[in-house]
Amino acid sequence: MGGFDVPEIDYTPYSDRQLAAVPLAVLALALAILLGWYLLTGAPVAMGIEFAGGTELTVDTASDRAEIPAAFDAEPESVQAVQAEDDRYIVQFASTDESALSEQAAANLEPAGDGEVVQSVTSTSAAFGAQAQRTALLGVGAAFVGMSVLAFALFRTFVPSVAIVVSAFSDIVIPLAVMNLVGIPLSLGTVAALLMLIGYSVDSDILLNNSVLRRGGDFTESVHRAMRTGVTMTVTSMAAMAVMAVAATAFGIDLLSSIGLILFVGLAADLLNTYLLNLSLLRWYVHEGVAR
Amino acid sequence: MGLRSVVGAHWRVILLVILVGVALVALFVPGGLLPQDEFAGGGNESADAGASPTNLAYGLGLDGGTRISAPVVGTTAEELEIEPDRAGEVEATLEDELGVDSANVSVQFHQDSGFHTAELFVDDVSHEEFAAALRAAGVDATEGDVRDGVTQSTRDSIIRTIETKINEAGLSGGRVSQSSAPNGQYYIVTEVPDRTPAELRTLLSERGIVEVRAHYPDGEGGQTNETVLEQGDFAGVDPAAYNEQNGHHVPVSVSEEAAPEFQAAMNEYGFTGPGVGQCGFGEPGTDGQNYCLLTIVDGEVVDAHSMGPDLAGPMRSGEWVEDPQFVMLAPSQTEAQALSVNLRAGSLRAPLDFENDRTFSVEPALAEQFKLFSLVTGVLSVLTVSGVVYLRYADRRVAGPMVVTALAEVVILLGFAAAIRMPLDLSHVAGFIAVVGTGVDDLIIIADEVMEEGDVNSRRVFASRFRKAFWVIGAAAATTIIAMAPLAVLSLGDLRGFAIITILGVLIGVFVTRPAYGDILRYLLTGE
Repeated sequence: MGGFDVPEIDYTPYSDRQLAAVPLAVLALALAILLGWYLLTGAPVAMGIEFAGGTELTVDTASDRAEIPAAFDAEPESVQAVQAEDDRYIVQFASTDESALSEQAAANLEPAGDGEVVQSVTSTSAAFGAQAQRTALLGVGAAFVGMSVLAFALFRTFVPSVAIVVSAFSDIVIPLAVMNLVGIPLSLGTVAALLMLIGYSVDSDILLNNSVLRRGGDFTESVHRAMRTGVTMTVTSMAAMAVMAVAATAFGIDLLSSIGLILFVGLAADLLNTYLLNLSLLRWYVHEGVAR
Repeated sequence: MGLRSVVGAHWRVILLVILVGVALVALFVPGGLLPQDEFAGGGNESADAGASPTNLAYGLGLDGGTRISAPVVGTTAEELEIEPDRAGEVEATLEDELGVDSANVSVQFHQDSGFHTAELFVDDVSHEEFAAALRAAGVDATEGDVRDGVTQSTRDSIIRTIETKINEAGLSGGRVSQSSAPNGQYYIVTEVPDRTPAELRTLLSERGIVEVRAHYPDGEGGQTNETVLEQGDFAGVDPAAYNEQNGHHVPVSVSEEAAPEFQAAMNEYGFTGPGVGQCGFGEPGTDGQNYCLLTIVDGEVVDAHSMGPDLAGPMRSGEWVEDPQFVMLAPSQTEAQALSVNLRAGSLRAPLDFENDRTFSVEPALAEQFKLFSLVTGVLSVLTVSGVVYLRYADRRVAGPMVVTALAEVVILLGFAAAIRMPLDLSHVAGFIAVVGTGVDDLIIIADEVMEEGDVNSRRVFASRFRKAFWVIGAAAATTIIAMAPLAVLSLGDLRGFAIITILGVLIGVFVTRPAYGDILRYLLTGE
């Protein structure tokens, strides 16, 4: 083998409880953050303008960043510079009066070059946002239930199936908590990433369960076999997502950067959940659960 | 080895090569696989022809333009039993009881259900008031029969009207559709290239109800108004025109049914006699002397003119009905054009609710940059994946075909998108990157499984290991499809494209590219 190989981890010194404790503690912490956020703000995650309502303008202007808020009657929620393009800023408002905001931008900001000041407008009314929230919740819920049913159908035994469902749940909850911590609001892109995570996260769990339960042989050997493949898969995807997140952020393409970032965090959480949580449940099941 | 056995042994690889070939034709050969207009929903071909090196169609996010999604204003009472001949009477009672215009009330019979519906296109009447007004009209209705929203036939009519409006306004490549939310609320989604949100909103918020009103002396020193022509009374409408005599105007003809009545009214009210050339609409001190024909759009007077002698003559002699044409004047070219569009497209049956809308707009220049940027982002991601795979296996025989196969998957998908002219947006780009990600994951599973524990020295060993790998891949593919299915069905903004591309990618992967990769790997490892 060449450049890098997946290290063989010796799990034998640790009990099942010790192994499961780490991911469960992280999950508990993540849930605590979401609960705290819910108690403080009324929603478990910060909603982006696509869900809460508001307006986002992309402007090309020679004016300084500090002058931008003064151009508008409404106070911007945020002003973000786009790295790849000088003089381009993404400005967000809670107001949904996009025509007034566009006019103010065109009137009060100095154009950069010959182009229009306002390059892009996205405006969502509060009612439309609330509708999108319900749709998104329904979508994520349906996907999660569908995935759970499929997991049970594939393995037809309780513990391994539950292990898959619990780690997928944790894979979604941990990035949500991280989003709150680093200040990424929930947007259409992040919802897509969360759904994608359900698909990605289950891959490595199925691989592990399949290797241990269907292939037989020594437990440690089966785990290592699955890990060699699974970790390679996850690390490859993480690398691709990290590059996508960095490139898209530099270019100012929000949708791609949030998908990349959330998938990166979620896949890291998946390594933890698959190879500590799912593994400990499987080991308990193989050694003790089957005997009962 | 005969041809048949070669094909039999390598059919998976052959299928992959054929599909990639077809995809390349669909992508790059001008005209593509299908005739231009076959699937093109009025797309942007004209703009792209010659300029773009591929046959890919782009959506708003990558081509520039404006999209407004807005619900329709209105409430509907359903499953009403009304005698067929009483529908008009019920409508009239509703107008009186609730104090709304005739344009904002509609009672319709639905063939398929055998019931009537009553719709109100205003937002300030409660369900209870609506039901009470229906009961006053002698219809058995309760508050429970009333819901927010309008009927499908109203939405269809709105979509048709908007389509005509944007085509008449010269906006090629516009698209109108409806999308629904899980709670049953519908949105009308209008997309046009090359218009700002403010311009599109103006086009959509004009309901476009045109009428001609006679404004004439009441004989007691004041003025009175009478509606003499309504939208439905026009038989033909020409595009806006200009000449020295009339200025900006729209030539129109009145239908055979409406013409005699119009002519009689004009004669009776004095427009063809004392009123010729007598219109000082809005000027002080002219009350009781004005003979004006008012052109009214959405309740606003856009133009006021007296009748000219050229028209008054044939009207007076009664010959006008033989060839019932006249010109409607307008103060500017823009208003003449708007008038012509409104007359031809008909009015929006119900107004759109811009308080609860979603607007998205991108300048074409920015969209052009997004095309390049998303291509660069995609290429960087693919290079990263290739790099990691090389590092991991350090065996070109394994990693090379892996990257090539994953790319083949993207090419086939792109070809498919070009063939059906699916308008690509940023969300599709995210989908393509996700497809490379899941694709390579599955190829890693195959490679690891097949190369496990020493060399693969026979076809039988290979086949058994490949089958085992395939169980995992199939299971993983099924989960991804299930996870993405809700997004493909629900209309959650831009994400439908992402979900559709991901699902298609997984399907192509499982049925075509991954089996082919297995064959390639077997050939490279066993030499068979």
